[in-house]
Amino acid sequence: MTEQTTPPFLEVRNLAKRFATRQGREPSPWVIRDLSFTVNEGEFLTLIGPSGSGKSTLLNMIAQVDVANSGEIVFGGDVIGVSDSKSLRPGLDRRIGYVTQDDNLLPWRTTLDNVLFPLEVQGRLDEKSRAHAETLIKAVGLSGYEKYYPHELSGGMRKRTSLIRTLVYDPPVILMDEPFAAVDAQTRIQLQEDLLRLWEMGRKTIIFVTHDIAEAIALGDRTLVLTKQPTRIASDHKIPFKRPRNVKDIFALEGFATVYETIRKEIQ
Amino acid sequence: MKRYRVLADRIVVLIVLIGLWQLASLYFGTYWVSTPWLTISRFFVSTFSGEMLRHAGYTVEEALVGAVIGAVPAIILPFLLRRMPAWVSVLDPFMVGGYGAPKLALAPLFILWFGIGIESKIALVASVVFFIEYFSTLSGVRSLDAKLVQMAQLVGASESQVARHIVFPGAVPHIFSGLRIALPYGIGAAVIAELISSNRGLGYLVQIGAMNFDITQVFAAILGATVVVLAVGWVVDETEKLLLRWRPPADNALQQVNA
Repeated sequence: MTEQTTPPFLEVRNLAKRFATRQGREPSPWVIRDLSFTVNEGEFLTLIGPSGSGKSTLLNMIAQVDVANSGEIVFGGDVIGVSDSKSLRPGLDRRIGYVTQDDNLLPWRTTLDNVLFPLEVQGRLDEKSRAHAETLIKAVGLSGYEKYYPHELSGGMRKRTSLIRTLVYDPPVILMDEPFAAVDAQTRIQLQEDLLRLWEMGRKTIIFVTHDIAEAIALGDRTLVLTKQPTRIASDHKIPFKRPRNVKDIFALEGFATVYETIRKEIQ
Repeated sequence: MKRYRVLADRIVVLIVLIGLWQLASLYFGTYWVSTPWLTISRFFVSTFSGEMLRHAGYTVEEALVGAVIGAVPAIILPFLLRRMPAWVSVLDPFMVGGYGAPKLALAPLFILWFGIGIESKIALVASVVFFIEYFSTLSGVRSLDAKLVQMAQLVGASESQVARHIVFPGAVPHIFSGLRIALPYGIGAAVIAELISSNRGLGYLVQIGAMNFDITQVFAAILGATVVVLAVGWVVDETEKLLLRWRPPADNALQQVNA
């Protein structure tokens, strides 16, 4: 009930995107069209869709690193146009964090220095923020690896580093683009549990894109299913499971199979 | 184990080369080809008397001052041009021309302009080093990973922070591979300018030796120049190792093969 009365924390309105047409060719098809959804503050929203449904493109537009053809984003009471490449502000002044598919760690920085990088460029490096970084490093089990370079870390460790690099500067919204797609199943469950634990520590608003139905259900408060191109929202599911959740046991929960089946049928 | 094996093999190759050299001097006579023993003993006598060191020091001074004058703008320019790709294209044919022009042929010109002193050698070294280093640094700046830049912008890095924290560290390996090629060329250029006209330096020693038909001196001076090039190369390699500890070992191995 309360959700109806409070204005949404972040709203995506009628977003549309097609890639530039090359000379002498047919106009390129719409990748995304009439896509709208809202996110509440502190909500863990998962987006799931078939591969090639423009999920990364959608996040790129919300993060303001890619331009839309039309539509707007409403965030913190501001209406933000996203169709003019010149006025794009990547990360909206550090208010939107983005964990991309690739970890994008700086190869010449150690684990600790990679985590501290956002604080350093933002001029917020002090005793307190350093301590916060140390806490996060400990929370994801990277203690002892602070002085290691990225090439000396495993894939899962690199993922954790890139995850806490975004958490360390506390952006109110965090976008995640299939961050755990490239790791093995065992590590993925570990990373999902790490993420949930970190999220419980300070409930951020998260928009998490995945193509793994179980992952979408295990992590999300709400799951949006996307259609094939041109992408729109096909359906909106509330995930009824209580928190804190145990990712390993999610399959055994009452009602999991029903939600899973419903979503699976909607993904074409 | 592998390291010792390489070292042992190198010693074998060295002995074979010295053997071939010895055979050549036996065949042609020491008047035309000095023997390894004569050359090495002259090298050491000359080194301990201070003569070799004085001349080598002079050549090193020319090469280092010239390298700094040539390399510093060559490294800075691609960074300044990073945001102006149009200017890179405008300059490109001139840079390619400057790179391709036989700089050693400029030596007589520089000697006319700057005299037979150290200035003409410095100018020649700088002109050689500049173009090599410019293209190396430019390729480093161009090989920039756009995703890393995007990450930095997302967390709020300014344009100058991107240059400092992303573009520069990414270009350092290229800057070093440029130096590794440019410095030996620069030293060679200094020696050749001395050959043409000078009263000091390793090139001068070669020239005097040849004029006096003192082949052993020519060989000893060339050996001296080789030792200088190897020493400078070693310093560059060690500095690079220190600065580029972050590189994966596979890259390092590849580098060593290339070097």
